[in-house]
Amino acid sequence: MPVFEAHGKKYEVDEDGFLQEPGIWNDDVARDFAATEGITELTDSHWKVIHYLRNYYLQFGIAPMIRKVCKETGFKLNEIYQLFPSGPAKGACKLAGLPKPTGCV
Amino acid sequence: MTPLAPSERQRAFTIAKKQDVVEKQRLPVRYHVEDADVRERPRRFLEAFAAILKHSNYRVALEQYLRVAARCSRCTTNCQVFLATGNDHDIPCYRSELLLKVYRRHFTMAGILQGRLLGDPGLTDPDIQRMADTFYDCTACRRCSLECPMGIDHGLLTHLGRYILSEIGIVPRALAVSVREQLTGASGNTSAVPLPALQDTLEFLTDELRDENGIEASFPIDQFDAEYLFLAPVSDYIMEAETIMGIGALFHATGDSWTIGSAYFDAINYGLFYNDQILEHVLHKVEAEATRLRARKILIGECGHASRCAKNFYPAYCLESKALPVVNIIEYAHQAWKSGRLKLNPQAVLEPVTYHDPCNLARSGWIVDQPRVLIRAFCPNYVEMTPSGRENICCGGGGGAVSLDETRPYRTLVGGRAKAEQIRATGAKICIAPCANCKKQLRELMEEHKVDCRIVGLHDLLYKAIVYE
Repeated sequence: MPVFEAHGKKYEVDEDGFLQEPGIWNDDVARDFAATEGITELTDSHWKVIHYLRNYYLQFGIAPMIRKVCKETGFKLNEIYQLFPSGPAKGACKLAGLPKPTGCV
Repeated sequence: MTPLAPSERQRAFTIAKKQDVVEKQRLPVRYHVEDADVRERPRRFLEAFAAILKHSNYRVALEQYLRVAARCSRCTTNCQVFLATGNDHDIPCYRSELLLKVYRRHFTMAGILQGRLLGDPGLTDPDIQRMADTFYDCTACRRCSLECPMGIDHGLLTHLGRYILSEIGIVPRALAVSVREQLTGASGNTSAVPLPALQDTLEFLTDELRDENGIEASFPIDQFDAEYLFLAPVSDYIMEAETIMGIGALFHATGDSWTIGSAYFDAINYGLFYNDQILEHVLHKVEAEATRLRARKILIGECGHASRCAKNFYPAYCLESKALPVVNIIEYAHQAWKSGRLKLNPQAVLEPVTYHDPCNLARSGWIVDQPRVLIRAFCPNYVEMTPSGRENICCGGGGGAVSLDETRPYRTLVGGRAKAEQIRATGAKICIAPCANCKKQLRELMEEHKVDCRIVGLHDLLYKAIVYE
């Protein structure tokens, strides 16, 4: 199992760098993983998306529809790509501690 | 096509995996593979091959291909992978020969005798590594079959090669994980969407349709005795809101009865990419849901491989004596428009629009004209791609490739290179690609090659054009 190390902490991750145990997530995890997505600092805008994804995931067990993310957070899709360069389904989900999406996502 | 620059070649062919993983799995391939037994792979490959030959009719095709294969390389002109790399081993008939050679050596009398006389050791582990690499470089688009003077379906041989490899544990991890969730997981679908999440999404889309158009469309779940059981590629419920909204609006306009099944709602069938037994199991799930809901037809959403799977294989694998008809959503929309039940605004989309044919819809000539008739009915600036229709060029993400994120540089720089140039040449600002696989791949292509073109589904635009009575 690959291990990701940041700020003296070790996380078990999959081959794509997603957290293996989504249950251990907290805000520190998002901060530790941010650099892997080319994000230098997590702003309020980042947190808004991350917390929305996280809460939806805890309620429904999956990431929300991307259009819904945009609607609920008030960001346009291109703005989300500016925040998370690899996109809502990959980068944003990774920082929010969701499992890597499977299938044709 | 512009040749690959040395830096592009380097990026496309780099194996992202760690070296120790490659050595442990003894597989220098670009895609991730789950750990499997690597001992005696040649023996196990041959046993799997023998079992497949015994329980299928592949032998008929192999005997025929073995007899007629001329290795003339006429297929080179039609393979977008070879045209990008220029590597001999990317010539379709060269790739097919890897498997035909195994069949000749181990499963024909002449090959067995000759092998013994000449002391040919037969299949080796490096042969298997080569097949594992090359059969996933091919996107199984089957464009080469158009040019083959002997009528060889190289896509079929790629499929068979992958099938045998999967039986000894060599299969891209992304595909295997999705299929496991679909066949044995709690959600029962490839993207692990739980039913409450689907319900929440459909309620959201119903509200969106009301807010944007003032229409009271609905997405019926578990409506018994409906005309159509609708199955979308389940990823659309995460990624493609506009496509699903367009389909909801379409049914609102036609008034036909349709339903989404709560027990099974995923059209995706990765069995087509690598394993016939999975292909069959997934189709049984479709059939079980259609039977439970007493639906009269099976309707597949915007997805090429899922549509072809259902259309071509449902009649062969269904358990009931009479197979339900399989319809693709484009056929349905086309029929509705032709019969006058669907009214479209001829000036709805004024930007230049082009259409990408998904290989699995167009190669057989099944769905070529219908989408064009529809697009011309709401878009006066339609631009055709060249070539197109049956001769279309693959997006580069076919055969399951698009689900393998780790192969993205290869897919965009090699597999999709021809497509990117083709789209750029049309000058279109919007490209319609009615397939979940193609959409994802083409968006990545447009980004990589900096083409200013938006990739959408057909129903994303149809949605803007529908005139409600």
